[in-house]
Amino acid sequence: MPVFAVVSMLVFLALRVLPVDPAQMSLPPSATIEQVEAKRIEMGLTKPVWEQYAVWLGSAVRGDFGESAQYRMPTSTLVLQRLPATIELATCALAFAIVFGVAMGLLIFAARGTVLASAGMVVTSVIMALPDFLLALLFILLLGVLMPLFPVNGRLAPGLSVPDLTGFLLVDTLAAGEPRLFLNALSHMALPVLALGLAFSPAIIRVLHSSLVATYQQSYIRQARLRGLSDRSILFGQALKNAILPVVVLVGTQFGGLFGGTLLVELIFSYPGLGNLMLRAMQTVDLNVIMAVALIYCATTLIFNSLADAGVYLLNPRLRS
Amino acid sequence: MHGFARYADIRLILSGGAVSAILLMALLAPWIAPHEPNDQDLLSILMPPVFAGGSAEHLLGTDSLGRDILSRLIHGARTAMTVAIFASCGAMLLGSVLACIAGYFGGRIDWAISRMVEIWLSFPPVVLSMLLIVGLGIGTDKVILAIILVDWTRFCRVLRTEVQVTRRQDYVAYARLAGFSHGRIILREVLPGVLPMIVTLFSLQMGISVVVEAILSFVSMGVPADVPAWGQMIADARIDIYSAPWGLALPILMIFVTVLSFNALGDSLNRVLDPRSSARRPV
Repeated sequence: MPVFAVVSMLVFLALRVLPVDPAQMSLPPSATIEQVEAKRIEMGLTKPVWEQYAVWLGSAVRGDFGESAQYRMPTSTLVLQRLPATIELATCALAFAIVFGVAMGLLIFAARGTVLASAGMVVTSVIMALPDFLLALLFILLLGVLMPLFPVNGRLAPGLSVPDLTGFLLVDTLAAGEPRLFLNALSHMALPVLALGLAFSPAIIRVLHSSLVATYQQSYIRQARLRGLSDRSILFGQALKNAILPVVVLVGTQFGGLFGGTLLVELIFSYPGLGNLMLRAMQTVDLNVIMAVALIYCATTLIFNSLADAGVYLLNPRLRS
Repeated sequence: MHGFARYADIRLILSGGAVSAILLMALLAPWIAPHEPNDQDLLSILMPPVFAGGSAEHLLGTDSLGRDILSRLIHGARTAMTVAIFASCGAMLLGSVLACIAGYFGGRIDWAISRMVEIWLSFPPVVLSMLLIVGLGIGTDKVILAIILVDWTRFCRVLRTEVQVTRRQDYVAYARLAGFSHGRIILREVLPGVLPMIVTLFSLQMGISVVVEAILSFVSMGVPADVPAWGQMIADARIDIYSAPWGLALPILMIFVTVLSFNALGDSLNRVLDPRSSARRPV
């Protein structure tokens, strides 16, 4: 929480230092100097920065993040419209990354010493050199253009619509009882999720692998072997519980990377989420929107850090005694 | 064990060779590029590479303005390497100095620097670098500065722990007893201990910087439009993805090969330089 307060202050200060005049931007270009000056006073821009921050904070805690200069509507409405799409995308990508990463990590470790394991490690290094936005473009090139298996634009095929309940399309289509629309939304999500998730997975594979290697040097593994336990029950019954801890920490601390990646992936797939809103706001220097979205990115990162801490605490009995 | 050491050496030679080739290409760009990177040949736009039915005049084809893709790739390497070298050096210097101060002196300084790292890490790096560009404006020097200001934390966080461990070694205590100054101890006793880690991190940071530069020029927040950059080539080629897929595939391939080489170099340097590296432990 204190970190969040400091961040909001720093971002606010940084945006106010920018050589742009929010008053001038909110008026038509034909506005006279007097009109701009009056608007500056009305918007409180003549007050000291600290007072401006206090005013902003006062409204922000009540959910009022000011008006977007670009869209002429409340920033909070704008952000809430876009947020579900990004959360849906990031959640699915994270789920894919964890399932794929843990499965690959286990497979490579179980096959240690064989050609298969070396091949797995090589593939991991190759994926590691492909950041999410390059994977996204490659998928479009391979699966959208050369072999058009998946749609590469937006969240639903043009012409289709779903009653807006939660904003999460996968939930809304099911709630509307439309399996066809659900599949359509799912196929639109396939490539963005694959790009984000696959880019995040090598870190999980590597950390899980080296953590398993370290765990297998512990004496309790040797003892389990002497007790005659099978390889499978040692791995799943004994080792994995301990070896997964660094993975939980990794997911918590590195989630920001995946969440930030949605920015570019949304741009590439014309996905109407927070990332596209942010890019547009940065191009048009829409200060209120930049501020609000930046804080959402920051809050999400911090929440995931705390979740990881809580997860480690729950999974590691030694921390609880 | 012996076999593995040899495997690591081969990897070191291969990745080192690839990195040298890319650096050489960047250095010699104006002499080895067959065309000027911004010269437009509007009569032959969107030509495929020579192996896909193009002409020998433009070996890797042309883009939507008839600019030679091979020449733009070579000059793009120059941009990428300029940014990567300066940005990685800057991030390394800033991060290492703060890490040494925090880890060596501990106490309040350590607290302050650690909180600063925490605040920085609460932002997704991509978002932070773009926010910085919004503030700084576009330009090659701004991209370098933005990367330094984002990625110093990577060095600081890892090295601080290393410095803390090294500081507790007996030889550091002896040096203190022998009456050496803090500055001399940090430079002569502590720094050599963490140098292998710095070298590894630097190589990984080179790859990261290449990616960040590509991302920023991809969203037109990077180098100016008249400077050829891989990210910008990708953004240009995205519009003609159906008629000229090669224009998109080639810069992606360049970024991939560059990042892969620097990652592999970092990994093998880590194995060779750091005796504690987990890869050397027998399973």
